[in-house]
Amino acid sequence: MALTIEDVRKIATLSRLRFDPEEEERFAGQLGKIVGYIDQLHGFAGTIEPERSPGLPERADAVVPGLPRERFLANAPEARDGFLVVAEVKPSETEGS
Amino acid sequence: MSAAAAAGSLVSLSVEEIARRIQAGEASAIEVLEDSLARTAEVEPEVGAFLELWADEARERAAQIDARIAAGESVGSLAGVPLALKDNLSLVGHTPGCASRILEGYIAPYTATAVERLLAAGAVPIGRANMDEFAMGSSCENSGYQVTRNPWDLARVPGGSSGGPAAAVAAGGVPLSFGSDTGGSIRQPAALSGIVGFKPTYGRVSRHGLVAFASSTDQIGPLARSVRDAAVGYAVIAGPDARDSTCSERLVENPLLGIEDGIRGLRIGSLKEVDASGLAPANARCWYESLERLARAGAEIVEVSVPSLAAAIAVYYVIATCEASANLARFDGIRYGRRAAGAASLGETYIRSRSEGFGAEVKRRIMLGTFALSSGYYDAYYGRARAVLETMRRQLDAAFTRCDLLVTPTSPTGAFRIGERSDDPLAMYLSDIYTTPASLVGLPALALPAGLDEDGMPLSLQITGRPFAEAQVFRAGRAFEAAGEWRVAPTFRNRAKDREGVPVR
Repeated sequence: MALTIEDVRKIATLSRLRFDPEEEERFAGQLGKIVGYIDQLHGFAGTIEPERSPGLPERADAVVPGLPRERFLANAPEARDGFLVVAEVKPSETEGS
Repeated sequence: MSAAAAAGSLVSLSVEEIARRIQAGEASAIEVLEDSLARTAEVEPEVGAFLELWADEARERAAQIDARIAAGESVGSLAGVPLALKDNLSLVGHTPGCASRILEGYIAPYTATAVERLLAAGAVPIGRANMDEFAMGSSCENSGYQVTRNPWDLARVPGGSSGGPAAAVAAGGVPLSFGSDTGGSIRQPAALSGIVGFKPTYGRVSRHGLVAFASSTDQIGPLARSVRDAAVGYAVIAGPDARDSTCSERLVENPLLGIEDGIRGLRIGSLKEVDASGLAPANARCWYESLERLARAGAEIVEVSVPSLAAAIAVYYVIATCEASANLARFDGIRYGRRAAGAASLGETYIRSRSEGFGAEVKRRIMLGTFALSSGYYDAYYGRARAVLETMRRQLDAAFTRCDLLVTPTSPTGAFRIGERSDDPLAMYLSDIYTTPASLVGLPALALPAGLDEDGMPLSLQITGRPFAEAQVFRAGRAFEAAGEWRVAPTFRNRAKDREGVPVR
């Protein structure tokens, strides 16, 4: 199937990415070509089966030490008083768009 | 800078011989390391395999190994062996940057299980090697930092995504490196760079500390100059790990026991769907010669069929991109890595950090995966891909009732020119036809040198086994290797001064 500029914008929003008009054009062409190739899947037999159990033992449901907070925060772009600092959360951004 | 210059040096010896000499006091870990660093410094300006060298830390580590040996300790099977790590393997205190701008400044707070085991066996990592960003690519051209060149012909790609680890070994700076393979990312660069590359069974090696791309197929494995060297490296990293719940508790079979026993009586399946017309002429010739070589070594060649092979790339590029779109959601500029400056809201921080930090191929794959998982398309793409994967699994299971091992070419072509496929993502994806099935189904697969094409570029055979049949795969690989003549002797053609009109980024 071909992808439109509108499709690309919608997928970009879901992906938390933004493109300029020239990139949108290029991505529409490239993704359309790739999806066109992937469409051949519809010519192959196969039925969806329930997820197979990997047959591996489950871990004990026990509390184990995680990464200490300081070591975790050492990688943060911005941290203060043991917390991550982020920009304001706008109401329009609180639901998946 | 010639292959001859490296011959006779300590770092040109096999992994086993390096470790033996160091343990026996016939050479020191420092001597071997200095040899490795000197060779790397000599070739690196042309090859560009490394994003960072850790010379000082490596010297400290080598000195500790020498001190332990002087004190009478037995160090391990990789005592003093210098090696390269792909830039997505965590070593505490260092950046596993995935060759991505979005991980700028990230420092690993822990060490990958596989890397811990390498260190415990006495290995000396000399640096982090280049890759396609987040392991997405088949040429190493998608690195956010630099292009790595093929040591056989510097105007060509080394393959990808483990192009840096492959080029580091092929150029002679290290005898061993470790990469990750999600759809062929160890085997294809090994093929294009004329070395051996091995992807273990899914669940054989812990993924703890490997930055995730597609969690249902990611595996860590070795790249080396010989089958034995690869087997030694594999044996160190394989085994259970409580920190990766998909890691199997099965005992690891020592791949070196019986590795020289040959393949007389083994049934080796040649895949009917390997369509010679789809192979470059030299690759087709090499493919038939490889089958003859296996037969001469005593294997019984049987033809088997996996009709869904034709769907492998489509299945893989749906499943892997879906998983990638979820795995890479964590890179948002909040907890680690790059954060875009001046965003007025949290949502803007996400969008701008990601749009600035990811390269084009990573964005393409996130977009493709997001599309295939999105409402209205999930069943048609992700669901369909899972269904065809089950068909492929059943067909492979059936094939393995008729044979012990399966062989195919590793790549349909030899190394292509830098820039040749970078504007056509689909053309790049098509080079993964033979490597993706073992990834999707979780089988162990070995890529090993099989000859040269008319341009003097390496060609490769892939040997795939049943789950956890690593030892058998290595034994067959060793028999194939022993029945031919091969030396990793990169030709370093088309050096910078000889190249014109080749795009350099």
